[in-house]
Amino acid sequence: MSKSRGVLGLFKHLDTVCNAAEKVRGRHDFKDHEVFSPTSYHEIEHSCAYPPSPVRWFTFVGAMTGTVTGFALALLCDWDWPIVVGGKTPGIYSLPAYVILGFEFTILFGAIATVIGVLVMCRLPNPKATIFDNRLTDDMFGIWVPGATVDGPQAKFLKEAGAVEIKATH
Amino acid sequence: MSEIKWEKSISDVNSEILVNLGKPHKMFYVALAVAVTFLLIAVGMVAYHTCVGLGVWKGFAPPTYWLVDITNFVFWVGIGHAGTLISAILFLFRAQWRNTVNRSAEAMTIFAVICAAVFPAIHMGRMYLGAYWALPLPNTNNLWVNFRSPLFWDVCAISTYFTTSLLFWYMGLIPDLGSIRDRVTGIKKVVYGILSFGWRGTARQWHHYETGYGFLAALATPLVLSVHSIVSWDFAMSIQPGWHTTIFPPYFVAGAILSGCAMVYTLLLPIRWMFNLEKFIRDDHLEACIKLTLLTSTIVFYAYGIEFFIAWYSGNVYEWAIFAKRAAGPYSFYFWTMIFCNCIFPLVWWSKTMRLNKKVCYVVCVLINVGMWFERYNIILSGLVEDFLPGSWGHSEPGFWEIGLTIGSFALFFTFFLLFCKFFPIVSLSEIKLIMPKPMSGHGKGGH
Repeated sequence: MSKSRGVLGLFKHLDTVCNAAEKVRGRHDFKDHEVFSPTSYHEIEHSCAYPPSPVRWFTFVGAMTGTVTGFALALLCDWDWPIVVGGKTPGIYSLPAYVILGFEFTILFGAIATVIGVLVMCRLPNPKATIFDNRLTDDMFGIWVPGATVDGPQAKFLKEAGAVEIKATH
Repeated sequence: MSEIKWEKSISDVNSEILVNLGKPHKMFYVALAVAVTFLLIAVGMVAYHTCVGLGVWKGFAPPTYWLVDITNFVFWVGIGHAGTLISAILFLFRAQWRNTVNRSAEAMTIFAVICAAVFPAIHMGRMYLGAYWALPLPNTNNLWVNFRSPLFWDVCAISTYFTTSLLFWYMGLIPDLGSIRDRVTGIKKVVYGILSFGWRGTARQWHHYETGYGFLAALATPLVLSVHSIVSWDFAMSIQPGWHTTIFPPYFVAGAILSGCAMVYTLLLPIRWMFNLEKFIRDDHLEACIKLTLLTSTIVFYAYGIEFFIAWYSGNVYEWAIFAKRAAGPYSFYFWTMIFCNCIFPLVWWSKTMRLNKKVCYVVCVLINVGMWFERYNIILSGLVEDFLPGSWGHSEPGFWEIGLTIGSFALFFTFFLLFCKFFPIVSLSEIKLIMPKPMSGHGKGGH
């Protein structure tokens, strides 16, 4: 069976899709359902009640690695070949100057790790992504139920919840 | 601003903003042709002086040498700052007007930093030898770079800035590229499909995306303040009178945002007209940009004043000599151009009528860009032309090559920007939908 086989309910309004998303949450016959939105409405996020995104850990680990790398780069080079420049002793005594390196590497590694985190958590790049309906990235909302059929109870529920269109996906 | 009535709904967004993917206005081709022509001339000039040497430049002589290169470098890095300010800092402050201009401002940042990066490359003369000095491997002498040098801090800052801005911009583009993919057909669908990484717009994806976007904004905020501070340390960390001052970092950051905001307006007004985006990039959004320009202009005005005051009040004769010469010496034209363009002309914007008068705003914004270029020229010139050794004092005027390469950098910038306007969404589709009225049914639970 194709992984994208199921039923998609298309919604026109934000409040209707939020109500529907809240009701289907935790229902056994809606297991692994997906909610679609054209943009990042916080209302949908609340209705789906997702736990805090693990992207924050990617950012934290990336940023901290950057801090250590920035300072380590300068200090290890000093240790390898200590040179007095402008009367300033190398190594730990030049630490104030290395704060800038620590700072820049924190931002650089933090930003790269954040983007990697978003890509990993969003399962991107996804060359096999199935686009159920072109309107989902335009102005329509959707709830997709895997394995359901257009005449099954899930489709009936979505219709009653305010879906303007029900379609089968393959 | 949240009370503003929108004439458009979110259903109009994709169809009306993505008109740029179709046949553009004929003025678009005219602008692109002009930009590409000047760019090609500049490429020819660079090729020529790479072969024969930098000696062909009129100003390439003691004591100023790379004066115009450094000026252009600082100018273009500064231009980029408004993009990050608008996309990151105003995001954290939840300023709604940024949602309409952030995409093009971020694109402007990236192209401006590319223009800035061109100048350290061409200043080397024989660029093909530069690769070794940028990456000296094998490092047979085991000598490491001087991590206490502001120039090295600058390399780190600009590289971080470019990378972070690029990631920020592209991450914002992913959902919009998904929207384009779902509207186009044929080969375009394949290309935009690859560019969008297979984005589907599930609530789960949006959840992670929003978290990541917030963190990127939080990281970019201190970054934008640090980058031009570090650029200013290239000067302030020296002991040169006129440069060695603690006011430089905030003064440079304010100046960078001033020039960047003026450039955002300079770009957006014609683009908005060419692609019929008046209903989305509205007059009140442009007015907000003008207010930010006015604010930074007053900060810069204050900085110019206090810099002069301290030069006099310190009692340091060398410091005062530099400043007196800036205002009344042989280069006073540059100084007064800077004062009038950056400080005096923007004062018209205290009047709301003037802020809404697009012709006035456009002219003043172009003048600010001119003024900000001269600000950097003025600072760098006065520090270089007369240093501690009177024997090495000299006089410097930009010649054909310097002016030509400066125009060439503008051509490079506009070429990139126009191509961006043709192939990418000029306004962020997903973000503008957020500030428009939510599509509610009028009954049932209305969310939060």
